[in-house]
Amino acid sequence: MSDRRVAILGGGLYRPGRVRYDNAEEGVAMAYKNMLNDFPNLDPQDIQFVQSSYFSDHLNQQLCMAWIVQDYIGQHRKGGYRVEAGGSTPLDALLNAYFLIKSGQYDLVLVVGWEWMSEVDTATANEFIASASDTDWDFTVGGFYNGYYAALETRHMQLYGETIEDLGRIAVKNRNNAVHNPYSQWRAEHGTAYVTLDDYYKDRIIAWPYRRWDCALISEGACCLLMGSEKVAMKYSNNPMWIAGVGMGTDSMRPGDRLVDWAYHGVYKAEEKLYPKNIEKPVTPYPEMANFGFAREAVKQAYAQAGIRNPLKEIDLAELFAPYDGVELCLYEDLMFCHRGEGKTLIREGVVERGGELPCQLSGGLTAFTHPVGATSLLQTLFLYWQLAGLIRKKLGDATLQVRNAKKAITTGHGGTGCQGGVIIYSRD
Amino acid sequence: MAEEVRIIEDKATPIKKEWEEYARKGNWTVKGYEMVRALSGPGRIEDGEEEDFMVIYRPHGVLYRHSYGLVSKFFKGLIDKTLYGTKCPVCNTVYCPPRVHCWNPKCRVAETEWIELPLRGKVHTFSVMLFSADAFLEMLPFVLAYVQINGADTALPIQVVTAPTDIFVGQKVRIKFRENRKGDLMDIYAVPVKGQTTPEDSCLHRNNRDIEHLNRDLENTYAFLNKRFGIKKAEVERRWKAK
Ligand SMILES: [Zn+2]
Repeated sequence: MSDRRVAILGGGLYRPGRVRYDNAEEGVAMAYKNMLNDFPNLDPQDIQFVQSSYFSDHLNQQLCMAWIVQDYIGQHRKGGYRVEAGGSTPLDALLNAYFLIKSGQYDLVLVVGWEWMSEVDTATANEFIASASDTDWDFTVGGFYNGYYAALETRHMQLYGETIEDLGRIAVKNRNNAVHNPYSQWRAEHGTAYVTLDDYYKDRIIAWPYRRWDCALISEGACCLLMGSEKVAMKYSNNPMWIAGVGMGTDSMRPGDRLVDWAYHGVYKAEEKLYPKNIEKPVTPYPEMANFGFAREAVKQAYAQAGIRNPLKEIDLAELFAPYDGVELCLYEDLMFCHRGEGKTLIREGVVERGGELPCQLSGGLTAFTHPVGATSLLQTLFLYWQLAGLIRKKLGDATLQVRNAKKAITTGHGGTGCQGGVIIYSRD
Repeated sequence: MAEEVRIIEDKATPIKKEWEEYARKGNWTVKGYEMVRALSGPGRIEDGEEEDFMVIYRPHGVLYRHSYGLVSKFFKGLIDKTLYGTKCPVCNTVYCPPRVHCWNPKCRVAETEWIELPLRGKVHTFSVMLFSADAFLEMLPFVLAYVQINGADTALPIQVVTAPTDIFVGQKVRIKFRENRKGDLMDIYAVPVKGQTTPEDSCLHRNNRDIEHLNRDLENTYAFLNKRFGIKKAEVERRWKAK
């Protein structure tokens, strides 16, 4: 593989909200302008390629919106295209830009991501999102992603014994981080007071074991990132954040098929062994309907490239693609922060809390910061960039979330019920 | 030679006619608008400035014509009250949902064989749904479960018709056919086999507080059903008894 290094050079955002009335191309333009303010040396004509990222054509009655956006910001003429893969869309856009630069094709790429999700009512938005499940099968029974994800979490709870209280701890942690993020929807809607487990219990259950607080937000927002090769990085940025490793993985479209997951069968023997003895095993015990095989597959590649042997010790913070609190807990395991079944311990012992050994979702994540699908991983990456560059106080007006001397960070992305996704490891040096 | 396509059974003409009206109504033209005063701009709320926005209402009605392909036999089976799966002759995996090609890499896309499956299974996992997409709202509250049909190696999403607080992982169920079948998975539902006791380690039942909260929010759901559709709690509970 090419040994060219690739970096995130910085970025800008358009504050996400439940409903925004500036339209998508205007939101992207404002995020882009916000980004340009940080790059006084950048001539917009130096950008060689525009990587667009948005998830749904249904939500806006518009195909090929990337063309509208690219010309709106005056970046047409040069190459550009959109990638789309449900929730994995923005991570795949970052990966694609990385490959374009890594290959030597381009040196400077603009990544633009957005989603405008409130042009239809909430139930219809959920229906459109759920149409990313298999519409001949899973969709027909319930038509609601929350239900499929809730069923996955029920299985993990039954196998490994985490409780509603553990999910509540994650929900509370993420909200109490989000109050320090002035761009978070939680803070915009609920202010800056901390919440407790008692508040969590009062929240309404929508798909047991999940309450509203456990589930991703519906959002409208945008983000732009500038990515470059090491050849141009220092020309534009004093604080490049390098991509130290990447990986990708997939699993079955329908989660029910994972009980006999031949592609995974026998590949992850250690995880297969950690199956409770008192529960009847399906043909394939890992990932089953409990864990996320795509993440395990992706992180194996990413850690190998980044030379990471002990993620808990070597990684300083994580921004996970966790649309549900149970997903966050399972990812602790699949990303090897702990062994399978021990995710609950990391939240109980505060390891993933602010000030813990590996804080997760300091931004508030998808459930308390925001989830405008096509921009989500870009926003999480921008947040990690601010962290590694030591810019949290400057960008958020509050240093509470700043991890001191942060050097390495991880982010993940995925779509469907863990059908496809990837991992990126970022490094300050 | 020209390729010939024949319709050998037609249960679609009435809806095609009926849908013409929706298609006309949902033809992308603007049906109304609002003027909205709201914050504009990329920054924090405190930095935003108000602008006036024109917001239009524009519908889109579509009727899709979709082939179930080579698994058509499964869906026609539902209409005829038979549950089918497929079996790989090479590795013996039994698929339900059926696959007409085995996905085991060792089997090199082997063609599977159709088999009839028993109307029994067990709950692999579940969620108690208190909110859902538009089309399912009147069915709330319901249990969405992944049920492994006896003899099959995979799990099928099925609604279990039962009191939500009675469901557990490993519960044995019978598969039933609904009265009016239309050719999708909602043509079947599951009911628990009688006489089972809830295991002590059931994740839903481990903590009394969790059940209390579920009952509290079930009440909220009944209130919603009553307000939106005029459905009474007693009617909902009757669904779980009438099997
Ligand atoms: Zn086979």
